[in-house]
Amino acid sequence: MTEASLIGKSMVRSDTVAKAAGQALYTADLKLPRMLVGKVLRSPHPHARILNIDTSRAERLRGVKAVITGRDGHGVKWGVFPYTQDHDMVPTDKVRYIGEEVAAVAAVDEETALEALSLIDVEYEPLPAVFTIEEALKEGAPLVHDQYKNNINVHVHIEVGDTQKAFKEADIVLEDTFEAAGEMYGMLEPYAVVAHYTPDGYLDIWMPNAGPHVRAKALSNLLKMPLNKIRVHHINSGGAFGGRSEISPGDFVTSLLAIKSGRPVKLVYTREETSIATRQVHDIVARIKTGARKDGTIIAKEFKVYYNGGAYSSTGPIATSIPFYVYEETYRLPNLVYDGYRILTNRPIRGMYRCHGRAFLAGNAMHMDKIAEELGMDPMDIRLKNGIRAGETTATGSKIISCGLQDAIKAAARKSGWKKKRGKLPPYRGIGMGCLAIMCGFPMGFRSGSSAYIRVNEDGDATIVSGVVDNGQGNESMMVQIAAHILGIPMDSVNLVCSDTEVTTHDPGAYSQAAAFVTGNAVRLAAEDARDKILTAAAQYMKVDKTRLALKDKMVYLKDDPEKAIKLTRAVRYAMSKGQHIQGYGTYIPKISFDREWVKNPYGQMAGTFSYGTSIAELEVDPETGIVRLLRMVVAHDCGNPINPMAVEGQLEGSVAMGGTATILEEHVWDGGLQLNSDFLEYKMPLSVDMPDIDTILVRSMDPEGPFGAKEGGLTISMSAYKAIANAFYDATGVWLKEFPYTPDRVLKALQAKEKGRR
Amino acid sequence: MNRIPITLLVNGEPYSLAVPPNKTLLEVLRDDLELMGTREGCGVGACGACTVLIDGVPARSCLTLAVDVQGLSITTIEGLAEGDELHPVQEAFVERHAIQCGYCSSGMILTAKALLDKKKRPTKDEIKRAISGNICRCTGYAKIEDAIATAAKKLATPSK
Repeated sequence: MTEASLIGKSMVRSDTVAKAAGQALYTADLKLPRMLVGKVLRSPHPHARILNIDTSRAERLRGVKAVITGRDGHGVKWGVFPYTQDHDMVPTDKVRYIGEEVAAVAAVDEETALEALSLIDVEYEPLPAVFTIEEALKEGAPLVHDQYKNNINVHVHIEVGDTQKAFKEADIVLEDTFEAAGEMYGMLEPYAVVAHYTPDGYLDIWMPNAGPHVRAKALSNLLKMPLNKIRVHHINSGGAFGGRSEISPGDFVTSLLAIKSGRPVKLVYTREETSIATRQVHDIVARIKTGARKDGTIIAKEFKVYYNGGAYSSTGPIATSIPFYVYEETYRLPNLVYDGYRILTNRPIRGMYRCHGRAFLAGNAMHMDKIAEELGMDPMDIRLKNGIRAGETTATGSKIISCGLQDAIKAAARKSGWKKKRGKLPPYRGIGMGCLAIMCGFPMGFRSGSSAYIRVNEDGDATIVSGVVDNGQGNESMMVQIAAHILGIPMDSVNLVCSDTEVTTHDPGAYSQAAAFVTGNAVRLAAEDARDKILTAAAQYMKVDKTRLALKDKMVYLKDDPEKAIKLTRAVRYAMSKGQHIQGYGTYIPKISFDREWVKNPYGQMAGTFSYGTSIAELEVDPETGIVRLLRMVVAHDCGNPINPMAVEGQLEGSVAMGGTATILEEHVWDGGLQLNSDFLEYKMPLSVDMPDIDTILVRSMDPEGPFGAKEGGLTISMSAYKAIANAFYDATGVWLKEFPYTPDRVLKALQAKEKGRR
Repeated sequence: MNRIPITLLVNGEPYSLAVPPNKTLLEVLRDDLELMGTREGCGVGACGACTVLIDGVPARSCLTLAVDVQGLSITTIEGLAEGDELHPVQEAFVERHAIQCGYCSSGMILTAKALLDKKKRPTKDEIKRAISGNICRCTGYAKIEDAIATAAKKLATPSK
């Protein structure tokens, strides 16, 4: 149809006026009558048996309304999968990391709550602890959980082709180990929860989250309450980046306090608590062996990848797999063996991150460049040669239905001046490239789909009801834009009711890049259904054939005679008078393999579609100080078709900060089980002055399944920017720096080692 | 704890309060005046989410004691718009997609306003330096810098 198109236009986001005005509410802003302040008592030990907890003195303190320990729970442990249910959100047997929840109080004010914490007596028997992957794997090492032998929490084994034979046939074989320290999510909003339990047994709860429906289900399991008595409400979220996907111990604690006190309770984490007691990023060690033919074709890969998983499973099987999958979705890999091990340690809880897997992914990128160098190939050409294309199937069996990888590589190369610069820049200046694919939605079984409905009112405005959630990326606005476009009404004529679990439809959440492709399709179908109903009514009213009608500017008009038109309101009212209310319904589930399982059967269709991207980094290394300065990043991302181009650009630019600039700055530093940089003074996140110049390029592959051809918008850059930096560092220095981040100490050590080697 | 009577001038309105001497301006704004647009990100003055203007100068309200700013003019994000009309800096942030999660936006916008009050046509570098004490985890700063440059242009041309 030829309506005024809103798709592909940079529209003002529907949520940002309130945010600019300071009127948008976040969880910590909520105030309910009689609300109490919650505080958590945390373990000072990395590993200790809990012998006794005496809360009687705290309970007697004036102003204290509830004290809870693990005994107030139902003994149900959290885990994303039946075989990983090991996280007692307030443990009763032993603590497994410094900062773990031991007890909590709700009191009339913060001072009273803090004083009450000091009155709780806990007797611990300290136990030997393990902190690093090596320590945890040592023969006879203390076990974090008895059921995980050798502290191996998850082992993902994937085998394709005949790898040993392929290595024998390879002309080049490389083997290296790459390491990366885990990062901090660093969402600017500290974690916060508000919970209220009503006397008739309903729990209302607010927290920043990236999947309200999955959050409600987890709470329903842990609190042994029916799902329809738990209502996760809509609230703005101050960033997620993968870190708000799962239930947090804070949700459970606040719920217990609200249930026990019978009053609303607000728990706001300090920044330090947010760093220590909400999930952060895995340390990773990746051993990678690569075999290639003389013509640059990669024919064999062998991976042994270790993830420091902290004390509990979390999304373990997924976290242990994703770096591999995003790699196999990018390149043809005929023969491979992947062994991913998630190792439990007495470090805090770990989860999935927007830039997850930098040791593994950057390692593979360095191998690709090494091979190119040995063969005298341009790193761009080896990527074009091995890059997967639409119509092909990945190693583990995902069919690729659209792929802009070749275009992304070429566009980024052109824009960056690649041919003129690669290998030709002055000493200590370099340029490098990295590519990546990402699935638009994880396979989540029956939870993989989304549905939506849309009502069109008698005034011609519309209301969407969707489970979509927005953590800042613009998902809410995207749904409004899709519906407004289809219904031919302005965006500000559309209201979105979302992410409230008792009102809205099911949705997989926003943490697996599903919003554009999955939720967007559900909203598209709902709007198309509503449009069809409007046109049916208008056709009856106007006594014309429905196929001749279209919607634009709140009018229904004849496509072949636009002068003949009626107001949208007329059509809606006419329909209503016939008892045909304008309510559209849409539901979409991606075409994935339902028999695929992360550990037991890691083969089959992973996602409905995949997006593709390329990062090119140009940087400068100061050999005196070891400081790496990013000069320019050119990033090209195939999002199928951008629904709101400026919003997609924003995702790419944010990815350059988090996946790029972070490569020279960010890591959590430890003394055993004690995190040494939990605040924003000690943990260095990119500031405006650390950022390079950024060029963003949107590649349009027009996905055949995506809404208006759209796919996920930006994650390929979060996970390829560091690849580009690793290769640019080599171009600048001649050193393969295999340890992340590229801080001055690591850089100087590497440069000095190279000097020594030369002498 | 004993409370000290103070009068704060916030967004042009005088407020008479009695506050404990250790209460921060951030806490008073949020708890007592219910101006929730001023946000806490780190509590140690590192992130700038709590930025307000004190006599036109950006300051960390999490590090400022309420009793220390008596009689000074305090501007919070709620004080920028005139009725329904957003301030040109706010407008530019909306139009140029300088806002994603929005948690840093209040502090970022106020810092930008203070810059543009002092400097009508800041260079790109001056913009970068002005906001280098405000952390944004979402945008990579590019659209924020663009919005500030756009706001400078808006402020230079008399409004519609």
